[in-house]
Amino acid sequence: MPVSNPYIYTVVHWVVVGAAILLLMLVVYGLLRAMKAGRSTAVGYALILPWLLGFIIWQIYPFVFSLYLAFTEYDVLTPPKWVGLENFRYMFTKDPRFWPSVRLTVLYSVISVPLGMLGALATATLLAQDVKGVGFWRTLYYVPSVLPAAATALLWRWMFASQGLINTLLAPFYRLLDMQPLSWFSDERLVLPSFVIMSFWGIFGSNTVILLAALKNVPMELKEAARVDGAGSWTVFWRITVPMISPALFYVLIMGVIGAMQNFTAPLFIRTPGGAGTFLNVYVYQQGFTQFKMGYASAIAWFLMIMILILTALVWKFSEAHVYYEGEVRKH
Amino acid sequence: MNTKVLNFIKAFVTYFLLTLGAAVVVVPLFWMVSTSLKGPDALFTYPPEWIPRPPVWRNYIEAWKVLPFGRFLWNTLFITILAMVAELLTTSLVAFGFARFQFKGRNVLFFILLSTMMLPGVVTMIPSFLLWSKLGQVDTFDPLTIGAWFAWGPAYIFMMRQFFLTIPREMEEAALIDGANVFQIYWHIMLPLIRPALLAIGVLSFQGNWNNFQAPLIYLNSMEKFPMILGLKFFEQTLSKEAPMWNYMMAMSVLMALPILGLFFAAQRYFIEGLNVGATKG
Repeated sequence: MPVSNPYIYTVVHWVVVGAAILLLMLVVYGLLRAMKAGRSTAVGYALILPWLLGFIIWQIYPFVFSLYLAFTEYDVLTPPKWVGLENFRYMFTKDPRFWPSVRLTVLYSVISVPLGMLGALATATLLAQDVKGVGFWRTLYYVPSVLPAAATALLWRWMFASQGLINTLLAPFYRLLDMQPLSWFSDERLVLPSFVIMSFWGIFGSNTVILLAALKNVPMELKEAARVDGAGSWTVFWRITVPMISPALFYVLIMGVIGAMQNFTAPLFIRTPGGAGTFLNVYVYQQGFTQFKMGYASAIAWFLMIMILILTALVWKFSEAHVYYEGEVRKH
Repeated sequence: MNTKVLNFIKAFVTYFLLTLGAAVVVVPLFWMVSTSLKGPDALFTYPPEWIPRPPVWRNYIEAWKVLPFGRFLWNTLFITILAMVAELLTTSLVAFGFARFQFKGRNVLFFILLSTMMLPGVVTMIPSFLLWSKLGQVDTFDPLTIGAWFAWGPAYIFMMRQFFLTIPREMEEAALIDGANVFQIYWHIMLPLIRPALLAIGVLSFQGNWNNFQAPLIYLNSMEKFPMILGLKFFEQTLSKEAPMWNYMMAMSVLMALPILGLFFAAQRYFIEGLNVGATKG
């Protein structure tokens, strides 16, 4: 259907859908009341209806459908063809680009996330010491996180160019060590460290903000009581401060891992030799939308998701032994 | 050593490290702006030219014209505002439901909501695309804006619910006694009270939609519908392939980042508040 004005087209749809959802909420309320449900129940379900509908239509259905697709060959033009485990077999044994992508993605997450967290913790600890102009420093460090990921990626690609800023600044070191300037993103072996460095720059700002707030919430009395008992600064830090902020550390780690494993925007703005910088999420996109192998792409996506769940569970297990929630009685 | 000297050393080291960190943050940003103002021959000078003389302001005009950047800006605003308004409305309604009303299965459903916060979006990307494709909406703005009516940000719902929980019940109870219905309570009492949360989530939602890359990438094909981030990608991919025009690309990046940075400086309290509610009660 030829569309004369795509904006009006969408606005009209937008208004219609919005009105329909609000109407549906009223209908659900009426239905529940008609079925003799309590007022609280009827209102409650009516209010959460948008999310519930969205969950069913845009999460449960796609979730199940993508699992089905993972066992098919589907190029969108012809109906999906069931191929059983073939996608997975090819993925694990024959696809030359799969395992390098897994390696890049997993190593990137496992290195950059804890590193970013430690850097943020160090910075937050510095800032928590009654520093003058805390707000100014905190804002300054947060700025890289506000930048669009595309801008950050291009900026770092430019700085990592062979005659770029980084190599120029490092020139004295190269001379001293008598080595050639590093090629960063153009060197397959350096692609991973380059991405890690770039991520560190971009992320430690927002994590610093979170950890700083957590640090400020540690009650002074606890720390002073420990000092009175003769504990040194280091002991106070590790035995009191860190456990008290462990929920925030846990949050930073988990959200960090989930985000890092799905790194998508930055890699698509950075050219690397032989696709060395192809993260798994990017690979899913390439297979699905440029190669039109939606079945195979779904299989990869499922593998990625399971990996993320495993890593998340690992962090969870680790935290159970180490994260301290106020008011919780720990079983020993 | 007496404590006064020790404190001085501590303070010195602290500020030194903080300044070092600030330099790490600021130098690349400065370099980005500096590059954006350079002529093509000044790009690769050694030693690096920090302040381009003369600053080529024309780069910005050229970058704006080489691709229809004005249109891209309009598209970005269009998508962002429609999505943001729908998100704020539905998120607050859903959070209100979870926070203030008792119903069977509420805790289970909320737990499900929380777990979707951690569910990677990579798996639902393809079927969602296929669904929109069946509805004939590929290459329209619909997938980027209409999904927002389904309260698609579990983190925002969570934050808003936490905020609702901090509001004392007396106001609602008084209104109920006066005979107000739910909608009136929501509109006249709740909304004004949760203004800080609305602002925090509004700011985060604006940022999220402004910088969104994957969705426009898979749903939009016609260049006249591109938001700025797709325009930047298109430029990098086609016009800048052999000899990347870094000065133009930096200028475009600056243009794309400025509104978000401006919003950040004006409303940083809300950015930071939004971050913290999610983390400290998580």
